[in-house]
Amino acid sequence: MYRPCLFLLILILMASLQTGQCTEKVSIGGITFKNAMRGPDPDPSGDFNTVIVPIKRAGNLIIVEAQIDTLAGNFVLDTGAPYLVLNATYFRNMRKIDTQEPAGLNGAASESFTTAVFNFNILDIHYPRLTADVTDLSAIENGRGVKILGLLGTRLFSKFSITVDLFRNTLYIQKLDADGNVPVGEQAFHEPWMKTSFRFANDVIFIKGTANGDTMWFAFDTGAESNLMDYDRARKILPGMQVINRSKTTGIGGSAFEVIYARFDTLLIGDRRFIKNRVLLTSLEKMGKAYGHSVDGILGYDFFIRGVFSINFAKKEFEMYIYTNQ
Amino acid sequence: MKKCRSVIVLFLLLSGFTVGAQTRNSLVLGKEHLILMLDLNSSKPQLDTILLKAGVKTINTAAILHNDFTSLTNDGWKLAKREKNTVIFNRALKDLDVNPQNQPVLITTNIAPDHGINPGVPGYPDEETFGINKFMKLTVYDLPSGLTRFYLPGFLKAKRVLLSGSFNNWSTLKGTMLKTDSGWVTDARLAPGVYEYKYIIDGRWQRDRDNLQQHADGFNDVNSVYYKYNHTFTLKGYANAKKVMLAGSFNNWDAGNISLQKTGNGWQTRFYLHDGTHTYRFWVDGKWVTDPANPITVKDADGHTNSVLNLGETVTFKLNGHTEAKKVYLAGSFNNWKPGEILLKKTATGWAIPIIVPPGNYGYKFIVDDNWITDPVNPRHITEGGISNSFISIKPNYTFRLAGYGNAKSVHIAGNFNDWDPDGLVMDHTGNEWTIKMHLKQGKYRYKFLADGKWLLDPANKLYEQNEQHTSNSFIWIE
Repeated sequence: MYRPCLFLLILILMASLQTGQCTEKVSIGGITFKNAMRGPDPDPSGDFNTVIVPIKRAGNLIIVEAQIDTLAGNFVLDTGAPYLVLNATYFRNMRKIDTQEPAGLNGAASESFTTAVFNFNILDIHYPRLTADVTDLSAIENGRGVKILGLLGTRLFSKFSITVDLFRNTLYIQKLDADGNVPVGEQAFHEPWMKTSFRFANDVIFIKGTANGDTMWFAFDTGAESNLMDYDRARKILPGMQVINRSKTTGIGGSAFEVIYARFDTLLIGDRRFIKNRVLLTSLEKMGKAYGHSVDGILGYDFFIRGVFSINFAKKEFEMYIYTNQ
Repeated sequence: MKKCRSVIVLFLLLSGFTVGAQTRNSLVLGKEHLILMLDLNSSKPQLDTILLKAGVKTINTAAILHNDFTSLTNDGWKLAKREKNTVIFNRALKDLDVNPQNQPVLITTNIAPDHGINPGVPGYPDEETFGINKFMKLTVYDLPSGLTRFYLPGFLKAKRVLLSGSFNNWSTLKGTMLKTDSGWVTDARLAPGVYEYKYIIDGRWQRDRDNLQQHADGFNDVNSVYYKYNHTFTLKGYANAKKVMLAGSFNNWDAGNISLQKTGNGWQTRFYLHDGTHTYRFWVDGKWVTDPANPITVKDADGHTNSVLNLGETVTFKLNGHTEAKKVYLAGSFNNWKPGEILLKKTATGWAIPIIVPPGNYGYKFIVDDNWITDPVNPRHITEGGISNSFISIKPNYTFRLAGYGNAKSVHIAGNFNDWDPDGLVMDHTGNEWTIKMHLKQGKYRYKFLADGKWLLDPANKLYEQNEQHTSNSFIWIE
């Protein structure tokens, strides 16, 4: 009697562990994926210290070409996405390893699921297997007139330091030494003008800053074509802000909603002062849910176009270099 | 001192002038409201600018200047205060609390293109009337095979060099160049036209330093420009001439910028010339000469005789009947809708004119004694600016096909190329399929068929995406 009981106990324990895994939820792009406890993808490999990737631009988006097996195409460098996201338009027939919860408000979730891609390459960087989400990205294609296979999220670079030079349209992806540093001989830029640490929560970069005297947590998002701020959260600093314009934007479901693009004077990040800032005011509640972490604002193109920027994912450090055209 | 005083007076006058020219229009945020202040002493363009910024749907500046603010109140603005010539409106900011999107990338890419933060896609040159390459050292040239060779001297220590440009979708993976003992080389097949390109040397973009023809790339640098030539101008004889130049309608009759080179039996120059009707003359040692080898000439308004060159596809536009009309003109998007430019000639049964139209899709109409009419024998039309015009496609490069539907009375196509007008583009029924040919430039085209008014996805096209009605649209990419 003793033995079967123990066996049963172990079985129950294992089953509960299993259940624990099954109820795990992960949110990507606002869609909650259940049963999404994922084994980590194997580390990328490649014989390089620094890979220099040419950047293309579409509007204010940063576009990088990558390959899935033999299929090559454009991907958006999007630090607002936690990992690889594929455009359902071209990948809807991929093997589903997970489905998502019923459709969200944006009405497009019906096509969203999780898959795994094999042999993903960014030039010399080889990813043997990558977990990816498949979701509808046609809005980006139609908004920017460029074919988009997917988004390159932060987890692809979590072992590296990346440096984006939008003045010469070049992305540096660099291996780190045992201390988490880019070896001195490999550094493309020296003496950062600004350096700040960041929090890395749910694969999203959060940087603390001050906008017109109000302390805020900003997500750093290379996929955001402008800065954004939560209207409710920013209410205190709104009075007196000059409006650049008021316009409508469309959700995937076709619903139009209003945004205001405005100027604000001072942004402090890493003890450095950025003046003449622009920001899009809207509600970021949904985005906070997608990030799994509330967010006051998003630092996008209006911010990162001020200089060359580096993100060291191992040391969780963000640096900015003033471009000197050397 | 006198001079100094006059400078001060001038400064005061100037600054006074500047202050005088300023208006008090403003659009600022309050805690709960957006506040729009209008100075009714402003000029119409000044008011238009501020109302556009404010996102007012129907801008009626003239009415506002006459104290009629209906267009603003209809748009949800509340009149808050009025003081002499200043009116203050506001609107609640609660609309900003609505945002169904969960990814910044999806919000910002969907903002209307006039937003100013979205400069569009550079790198794809507009069509140009003519173009001549300018190289310090000839590094790009056409081969007898018709291919164009790109040669990049040096960079022998580089590991990987690519050619990227408007002709290969600015690919950063294709366009691999081969290393030679003196540099890098690759060949590309190009149709006549204008192209932009750069080299990618070990991941770094690099313009062609030997090429002086450049366009701004929109990002602090330039793209190199190459014209693939399609026309040679030849003038035989004139062996003793010192200088022979060419001028024409394509270069605003500038006799100083296109020179001919001496050949064995005359003079010659070659360059890219866009399809269309061009007039030209040679300028031989200071004297104008029409082209002796070209029998087609025309007299210009000043009485000069010019040679005429027709490049491209000739299309004959015909209008049957209307024989009692005095004059019939043709106008369309191919001539920017200029009404008095293309005069049709009377024929036995009506009116006709052969003209050269560059490749593209166009709307057109006939103007019969000042009455604009669509082409009565053309079942296809396109809506442009709310007006229905006849539709023609010149040198189409793509055929949309729908197989089957043999019992349908009519099949139409609608897409973003015709503003989703369901009636305009009727398809031909040939054999067991419905077809329509169109000229499509590089880009993405979304479409659907309508069989007897019922919307259909293209069953032969695997590519489709969600639309606002959740019924999906087919699409193609033209690359």
